[in-house]
Order: sequence, then structure tokens, then C-alpha cells
Amino acid sequence: MSTNQSRPRYYELTRRIIYVSIALAVIIPYFYNPKQDFSPSIEVRKVYDKVESLSPGDHLLISIDYDPSSEAELYPMSLALLRHCFKKGVIPIVMTPWPTSVGIAKKGCDEAVADANSMFGKKVVSGKDYVFLGFRPGITNLMLKMGDNLKGAFDKDYYGQPTQGMKALAGVSSLKNVKLLVDLAAMGTVEWWIAYGADKADIPMATGTTAVMTPDLYPFYQSNQLIGFLGGLRGAADYEKLLKIPGRGERGMLAQSVTHVLIILLILGANIHMFASQLLRKKEALS
Amino acid sequence: MIFKRTIPLLIVFGIGVLAFVQDYVPHPWSTAFRDEMTTWTMVIGGFAMFLGLYSLSHMHVTRIRRQMPGWGYSIFVFIGAIGMIATGIFSDIFGPLAAGTKNEVDLFDWGYDNILIPCSATVFSILAFYMASAAFRTFRARNLAAGLLLAAAIIVMFGRVPVSEVVSGWLFNDRMVIPNLSKAIMDYPNLAAKRGIMLGIALGVISQSMRILLGIERSYMGGGDR
Amino acid sequence: MSDYPEAVNIQAGAAKRRQAVEMGALALLVVVFLIVSFIRQNPFAEGANPGKAIGLIVAAGLTLIMFSFLYRDNPLFKIGENLYVGVSLGYTVVITWRDFLRPLVYQPLFEAPTAAALQSSLLHLTVPVALGILLLGRISRKHGWISRYAYAILIGWGAGVAIPLVTNSYILQQLTAAVKPLQEAIGPQAPAATTFSQAWLLGTAGPVLGALVAMIGTVAVLFYFFFSVEHKKLGSAVSKLGIWFLMVSFGASFGYTVMGRLSLLIGRVNFLLGEWLNIQNK
Repeated sequence: MSTNQSRPRYYELTRRIIYVSIALAVIIPYFYNPKQDFSPSIEVRKVYDKVESLSPGDHLLISIDYDPSSEAELYPMSLALLRHCFKKGVIPIVMTPWPTSVGIAKKGCDEAVADANSMFGKKVVSGKDYVFLGFRPGITNLMLKMGDNLKGAFDKDYYGQPTQGMKALAGVSSLKNVKLLVDLAAMGTVEWWIAYGADKADIPMATGTTAVMTPDLYPFYQSNQLIGFLGGLRGAADYEKLLKIPGRGERGMLAQSVTHVLIILLILGANIHMFASQLLRKKEALS
Repeated sequence: MIFKRTIPLLIVFGIGVLAFVQDYVPHPWSTAFRDEMTTWTMVIGGFAMFLGLYSLSHMHVTRIRRQMPGWGYSIFVFIGAIGMIATGIFSDIFGPLAAGTKNEVDLFDWGYDNILIPCSATVFSILAFYMASAAFRTFRARNLAAGLLLAAAIIVMFGRVPVSEVVSGWLFNDRMVIPNLSKAIMDYPNLAAKRGIMLGIALGVISQSMRILLGIERSYMGGGDR
Repeated sequence: MSDYPEAVNIQAGAAKRRQAVEMGALALLVVVFLIVSFIRQNPFAEGANPGKAIGLIVAAGLTLIMFSFLYRDNPLFKIGENLYVGVSLGYTVVITWRDFLRPLVYQPLFEAPTAAALQSSLLHLTVPVALGILLLGRISRKHGWISRYAYAILIGWGAGVAIPLVTNSYILQQLTAAVKPLQEAIGPQAPAATTFSQAWLLGTAGPVLGALVAMIGTVAVLFYFFFSVEHKKLGSAVSKLGIWFLMVSFGASFGYTVMGRLSLLIGRVNFLLGEWLNIQNK
């Protein structure tokens, strides 16, 4: 009777200890900011090198396929990518097929535009140095339409300016004129962009995804359907390191290290306890 | 019955075959057809969003009307919705009030940045606690398969954080041993499994599409008179 | 048995006391939150941006309210949750109007600049708009069948377009990629075998061996999911191998899932400490 009553209490207690430990493991590293020395992965390096190889005036399409629930991982990626574009003079074309992603896409553009001024001394103008097209419905149908007629899919940008005759879209009639397609995704749009967008228009594609989706990208990376990818907050941190502009990605790495080690210790501790209990029971059974 | 079932099935078949064929026909008519159909499907698909909005509103209105348990909280749904719609109308630079300029943070953006983003992001960040608790309670290497899962999880979890390079340097005099091991797991066995799963799903998509075109699969038609 | 009513009274009293303590603690926390917020983000301070300051206070408050679910489901959390649903609903309505209905339907049909433009819009948009309106018929139980015409177009087009694209991108290209490394290793362009060394192992033999492992694993996993044939003897061994590959893959996915979830938490905590409390960690 007392064992049955103590089990729920044991679970409650361990649950609260774990919650507090995780919270402390995230909070305490915030107050220490040692210089983190880590090597960016080859997958991120390839994306960085591709953007670096673009010439001023080249176009890069960024599809914002994440909403605020994945903001922590993907917003630093979108910022880093936009900053890189503005630094190089590459023209980013930003759009989204999801209504709830419009706000976060606009926020990223506005912050990167402000950073271009403060970091690189460049005055970046909408319609000339970048274009934010906003949202259109259709998802895969939108991708197909953009592959044929991008200005037909978006006849106006988010701010109501006509795309026909827009300086930022000079020479871009469809996806085929884009030098790189980057999908920043928390929803399952990467595979759709590969099939309906990049493969159909025969353009290189990269992606930045949440860590949860990253293992699914390896078949596409190995087949060169993706030239590279940014996986989770570590991917954002790697890109920031290559860009030499620290951001939220790098800042989160210490907390990431501490929490991962904590969870590994919890799992190992629980398994060691299980094996030890099994050994003890076997000993008792034998004796 | 002919209008309720037969004609829609014929439309599915006809449009589906044309959609399949147009991908292999480089003629300008084929491109024009695709351009037209993508416009049609974008417009029709856009109207589908209203169904979702209606469904959500209807659920909360019913809850308030019938005074079901917790109906008071549903009022906040409409407070939030009406608030955002009002600020959207107020902030619309082409709307009836034409307030604000395009580059200033307006009330509509304020609502998105300070209500939607924190709520959405926090709800999902709570999962970190539950995941840690669940991992401690249930993640046990009871057999070989579970042991493989556990080993792969630990190596990948550790290999993806910067501290693994430090530990690797201490243990092996080479900072990249553990990260490379983690990468090898992702590049080979993980790749194999994901590719196998993807091939299976792709074959399933093709067979399901064929079933839809041939009228065998009709669940999209919904209920009501068949 | 005669003690039972007293035990119930004692339990009810304890529950009431606990509720009172929790309400008191909640009120205290709210007061502390407001005091800390106005100290760190005073909207009335000189040079402060009131909109931004109030926004940060509201955002932090909602964040903490959502985190309160970790302790227990509570009325504040329910209010926050429903407010979030409502704001999301309202936001979607506005964006649907601004970025879909107005540019794609209303402006071409009702604000066409020229007669020719209006004619073109009527030609291209009449049918899809009509079908879109028919789509809304799904709401009605009696007349819902009218939406089948719109769904027929959507589903027929989607299914037809998917077949060639999925075949190319997810099957043909993937099969090619599975075989290509081995083909390159044994083909005429293959590098000549050199003496056994770490460079040869990592540069040539390693990737080829890895590609072989990957191909065997892919076949094993596909075989595991093939349930039309009973997995006996050799089939059972191949199926078991497939399970092992799947377990390694799921373990890797779990590792990345841990990373993803913790990243979201790190993001929120960094917001609370860095933006709300304005603690700089330089």
C-alpha cells in the first residue's frame, strides 16, 4: 500500500527536479558568454560558399515556410541569410505560402534592412535591393506558377507595388532566373519545393529547417537535390560563424551544450539504474 | 446522382490525365494550360481557407451559445480575433483608413509580434520539459534494437553540440572524432532508412494518385448524398 | 465507516486551503511581475518607446502565463491559449483579405484599370471564383455535394501533377543517387587502388563502403515494410537488418528532436532575460 502511494509521489518529485534542472541548465549559461570554438559543418559551409559565389545583382529566392512556433531556430537563419545577401549585394526575393508566416517574414526583412545600414553602411530599399512579395495561397500550385511566371503569381509585392517593371525583379520572369532557392522550413515544404520548384526549374536549392526535420534531408543532400542545408539552431550558429556576425544562434550554443549533456546524463543514469536493479534481482534469485 | 457523383469523378479523371500529360508536352498550349490551372487552383484553394476559419468560429460560437463547460474562455477567442481584424483594417495602407506608412511598426504588426509570437513559441518550447521527463522515465535499452536507438541518440545528441569537440580533443587528440562519428551515423545508416521510407511513401503517393484519378478513392468527396 | 464524513471534511478543507494559498501566490507573482516589468521596461521613462515597452511587457506576461502550464492547467493559461487562437484567427482573416482576396479576386474584377484588363480578368477568374464559392457549400450538410466540383478540380489537378514530379524527384533521382557512388568506384574513372593508408581509407574506401552500407540498408528497410510476403529465413534476417537501420535512424531523429525542442526553450529564455529583463551578457 505504501509502495503504491509513494510511486506517484516519486514521479511527481522527479518530474519537478527534472523541470527545474532543465530550466537552470538553460538560464545559467545565459550569464556566461565564452567565445565558442566550433567547426561549421560541411553542409552549412556549402550553402555559405554558394551564396558567397553569387555576384551583386544575382537573385536568391527565400521561401519562409515557418511560423512563430519555430521562430527560435529559423529566425536566426533567415536573419543571417538576409544579412549575407545585403552584404554581397545579392537581391533576396522573400515570399511565403503560409498566411501566419507573413509577420515573421516581414519582421526578418525589416531587421535585416536596419542591420544592413548599421553593419555594412548600405541603405537597402524595398523594390530595388530586395523584394518582399508576401503571401499567396496554393502552396504546390504557387510553386508551379512561380516556375512558369513569377510576376504572374505575385503581381504586387506585400506593400502593393507592382512587380512588373520592379527594379529588384529585373531579369526575373520565373524561378529559372533565380540563382539559388532557399527554403526556410518548419512545415513539410522542403520535399515539395524540391519536386515542384527546384527540380522542375533545374535550379540549385538549399534549405534551413528545424532540427526535427534535419535527418530527413540527408537523402536529398546525398543526391545533390540539395546543395547543402542548415539544421536547427546549430545550423544557424554555423552560418553566423562563417559570416563572422554573431547572433542568436551562436549565443544559444552554450545552453545547448549544457542541456544536451544533462539529458544524456539523465538517460544514462536511468539505464545504469535499470541494469543495476536487474543484476541485483538476478543475484537475489540465485542466492 | 449524375450531377452528385458521376460528373465530379469525370472531372477528376479528365483534369488529372491532362495534368499528368502536360508535364511531358513542351508545346505552348501545354504551358498555357498549366498557367491557367495553377491560377484556378490558387484561387479555389484560397477559398478553402474560409472553411477552416468558419469551422473554428462555429465551434466557439456553439460553445458560448450552449454555455458548455469553459465557454467563458471562448469569448477571448473573439476578443483576440476582433482586435486583430480591427487593427488590420486600421493599419491597412490601402484600406478605408489608410493609416501609417509601410515601414513603421503598426498595431497589426504589434499584435503579431507581442501576442502571436510569444504564445506560439512558448507553447512549443514547453515540450522541452516534457521530452526530458519522458526520456528519463521511458528511454531504456531493454533489447538490442532499443540499445541501438539509445546509442545512436546519445552519439548524435552529443556530436551536434560544441562541447563534443572539446571532449573529443581531450580524449582522442582530434577535435572532430565525435562530431565525425555523429556525421557518419547521419550520412549512412540514417540516410539508408530515410531513403527507404521515402521510396515507400513515394510509391504510396503514386498509387494513391492513380486510385483518385480512376475513381477508386473517393473520400475527398465528403459525406452527404453519394 | 463512521469516520468517513469527517475524513471528507478534512480533505475538502485542505483543498480549500491549498486553493487559497495558490491564489495568494498567483496574486503575489502578478504584482512582482508588474513591478519588475515597470522597473526594466518603463514605458513612461524619458526617451522610452511606449509601444515597444508595453509590447515587451505583454509578450513576457503571455510567455510566463504559457509556462505556468508546467505547474498545472489554470485559468490564466486557458485565457492565454484562447487569446492566441483568436489572434491567430484574426490575423489569418486579415492576411487572407490583403494577400489573396484583394489582389487575386477583388482588384482584378472590381478595380481593373482598363476594359481590356477587366475582360481578361473575367475570362480567367469567373470560373475559379465561382468554383471557390461552390467550395464553401461544404458547410451545408444537405447541399454539401455542390462543393465536389471544386474539389474535383483541386484533387484531380493535384493527383495528376504529383505523379510525374514524385516519380522523378523521390524515386528516380534517389535510386540514381543510391547507385552512383558504387558505379563511380568501379567504373573506368575510378581512382586506382593505392596502398592501404588512412588517407585512402577516409578518402576512397570509406565513402564507397558507406555507400554500400547505405544501399544495403535501403533495400533492407524497403523489405521490412513489404508485408505482402511472409518474412521467413533469409527474409526474416533481411527484415531484422532493416529494423536495426530503422532503430539507428530513429535514434538519430530523437537526438535531433531533443536539440530542436531545447532550442525553442533557449529562444524563449533568451527573450525573457535579454529583451524583457534587458540583461546584457556581453
